[in-house]
Amino acid sequence: MVSELLKGYRMLDLTDERGASCGKMFADMGAEVIKIEPPQGCSTRTIAPFLEDVPGPDRSLYAIAYHAGKKSVTANLESSDARALVADLAAKADFLVESFPVGYLDSIGLGYDELARRNPRLIYTSITPFGDKAPARDYKWADIITWAAGGMMYMMGEEGKPPVQMSVPQAGLHAGGEAAVASMIAHYPRQVDGQGQKIIVDMQACIVWTLMNEQAMPILHGDHIRRSGVFTGSAGTRRKMIFRCRDGHMSALVAGGTVGGASTKALVMWMNEHGFAADWMLEKDWTTWVPGMFMKLTERDNFEINDLEDRIQRFFLTMTKDEIYEGTLKRRILLAPVATVADIARDRQLKAREYFVEIQDDTLGRKLTMPGAFAKLSVTPVGPHAPAPRIGEHNIEIYGGLLGISADRLKSFSAKGAI
Amino acid sequence: MGRFALEGVKILDFSWVGVAPITTKYFSDNGAEVIRIESAARLDVLRLAPPWKDARPGPNASQFFASYNTSKKGITLDLSKPRARELVKKLVPWADIAAESFTPKAMRNWELDYDHLRQLNPELIMLSTCMQGQTGPNALYPGFGQLMAALSGFYYIAGYDVESPCPPYGAYSDFVAPRFSASVLLAALDYRRRTGKGQYVDMSQYEAALHYLAPALIDYFATGSVLGPRGNASDRYAPHGAYRCADEDGNERWIAIAVNDDIEWKAMLQALGADSRAARFQSKRERIENAAALDEFVNSLTRAHGAQDLTHKLQDAGVAAYPVQNCMDLHQDENLEAFDFWHWLEHKEMGPSPYEGLQHRLSRTPGELRWAAPVLGQHNEEIFSGMLGLSAAEIEQLQKENVIF
Repeated sequence: MVSELLKGYRMLDLTDERGASCGKMFADMGAEVIKIEPPQGCSTRTIAPFLEDVPGPDRSLYAIAYHAGKKSVTANLESSDARALVADLAAKADFLVESFPVGYLDSIGLGYDELARRNPRLIYTSITPFGDKAPARDYKWADIITWAAGGMMYMMGEEGKPPVQMSVPQAGLHAGGEAAVASMIAHYPRQVDGQGQKIIVDMQACIVWTLMNEQAMPILHGDHIRRSGVFTGSAGTRRKMIFRCRDGHMSALVAGGTVGGASTKALVMWMNEHGFAADWMLEKDWTTWVPGMFMKLTERDNFEINDLEDRIQRFFLTMTKDEIYEGTLKRRILLAPVATVADIARDRQLKAREYFVEIQDDTLGRKLTMPGAFAKLSVTPVGPHAPAPRIGEHNIEIYGGLLGISADRLKSFSAKGAI
Repeated sequence: MGRFALEGVKILDFSWVGVAPITTKYFSDNGAEVIRIESAARLDVLRLAPPWKDARPGPNASQFFASYNTSKKGITLDLSKPRARELVKKLVPWADIAAESFTPKAMRNWELDYDHLRQLNPELIMLSTCMQGQTGPNALYPGFGQLMAALSGFYYIAGYDVESPCPPYGAYSDFVAPRFSASVLLAALDYRRRTGKGQYVDMSQYEAALHYLAPALIDYFATGSVLGPRGNASDRYAPHGAYRCADEDGNERWIAIAVNDDIEWKAMLQALGADSRAARFQSKRERIENAAALDEFVNSLTRAHGAQDLTHKLQDAGVAAYPVQNCMDLHQDENLEAFDFWHWLEHKEMGPSPYEGLQHRLSRTPGELRWAAPVLGQHNEEIFSGMLGLSAAEIEQLQKENVIF
């Protein structure tokens, strides 16, 4: 079912992988999201991997995931007929989000100033890798470029090996999410005075924002984090955060003080039941144990950290991920499995909350199971309600129905390659 | 219409740590009035975490806390005390939105959960966000974003191989979830404007974060295929990865490069002054299939170049490239500067302090970091006296009783 939350609002989605997630969020919230793509299909449809490893415009898992619930119309923006159609749609839209190279839409008469003349209510959000005024505004882009430019990549990986990515590209998703927030912020004053505005999202800034304030470290502490594999922290706070277990890895927050004192105590007690705790650990007041708080470690601190990490490692090697996680939940210990998608798919918490939803995709002739509501709302539930559209699936509904273009004219547009 | 987009919006913010404070920061930086309720009896753990002003710890010296709490007001109330709860309830009718991020039992125990607060304000919108949601067998799971990022699959898919996960830095999911919670709260405000109905939002940070892994989850459910780490390999680009450049000031430097097609490949070789060994990698298929050898070859070419110079050279030739920036570099990055990303604000105790700016810019009603984060209880007098009408003597008495604390 389409959510009532933003029902009645219309968004034109002219993004590619730099922001497809924005329209997805709006579609989940019930807005009508019209994806405008070239007649050969949006570039996101070529992103591997493909469903069952069979390439095809309806089979990119990225497109399946991030276009779910949108409508699709085709428009060849090189054609003046198609541009006129898009301008007509923008006159009837509440939001527009785009991720073309900076200035491209202006150059073809679909920039903010042009469209706002006809529709001053329009909120027009441009997603850019580096902003609209940066020296790099025209740079060639791929997701990994922003991962590097935003500072995250440098901190991921092992010493002596290259900085590393994540296997699902992330920068474009953050930019799309930020575009959704920014568009909704601009919507609030529009409710008062009916005026829209233009928004720039800076994708590089979106990734810098994810660094958990580490970017203040050089200024305040004169140091910066280097990648260190399964360890985290800077000089004086370095901690092992990933431990092996029998069938994979566990992540642990082994800390004392207010944050982790009770948890570490519970972990030590658990280890002691199985003969893995040292005597000093049983006597320790973990609520005041904060080695590294003053950014340097004493010899004793180092001994305690190493001994604790070493014993945790040996303890975990006796158990599976499930066994450790189960014990963790009972004892309220700050631990989590390094979960695979298979672990997530069978997670009892997600099952109990009926998180995953099945969406029938008639084009593919099958049901697809996908992440459901990103939040549970008491009055207006949100979530995916339809599969990703085929290329131009809604040309007749939107161009014919919404804009009132006759079937003959649509045919001639199509024959001319405009749509 | 005020100067800021969200002027007039009022938020009673019981939350702490990352996700919910970051959510309400979107509001406060855009003109909403956000009152954070804190207590020295149960400090926001971010007040206890570095980076510190002058590397000296203290509850009012953490930039970590400060960064996520700009433009907010802060009062102190020890909500474990009934009198404190009576006081905070007087603010509920004032609020459009209440936000909290404790494990689910805390607000219920204090009778400050949605069912209680809506009796005081039937149109209230309330956000509860915790690790795994308000319901279900793991609802009480305690934790932080570092663990959530592991639980929601991000650790496993990062690294060179399954033997050695290389997690994203920090509490990754803390920076995914607020994009959802802020959007949905703003949408809920609009829905209330149209219908007069407030509502309750239960956001599991786990469930929000999984949306950034959606393609891999859909794939698993459909085919059983489990996405793993793959170094910097790509199905679309080759070369694709981080390549070693010339060291600078004793620090190793790397450049990220992504080459899409033959034209870019040839342009890259030319820009790097490559020799004939490149004959081995003439087609995209060859490049993707021999990614390890290709990476070695590209590394041999980049090693002599400065990362910044090489970025200019490659981009001039039409090849996607950028230096792999460390946290030091980000402060000199000309593109962040062009977006006016870094700001210095005057903090009551820390003095001039470095803040990250906004990730977007509105043309007509731009948000801004209106003021630095509050020190503990900075706005006690303004709120208790100005809004609740308590006398100076009453405030003093409540302070003595550690109610205002």
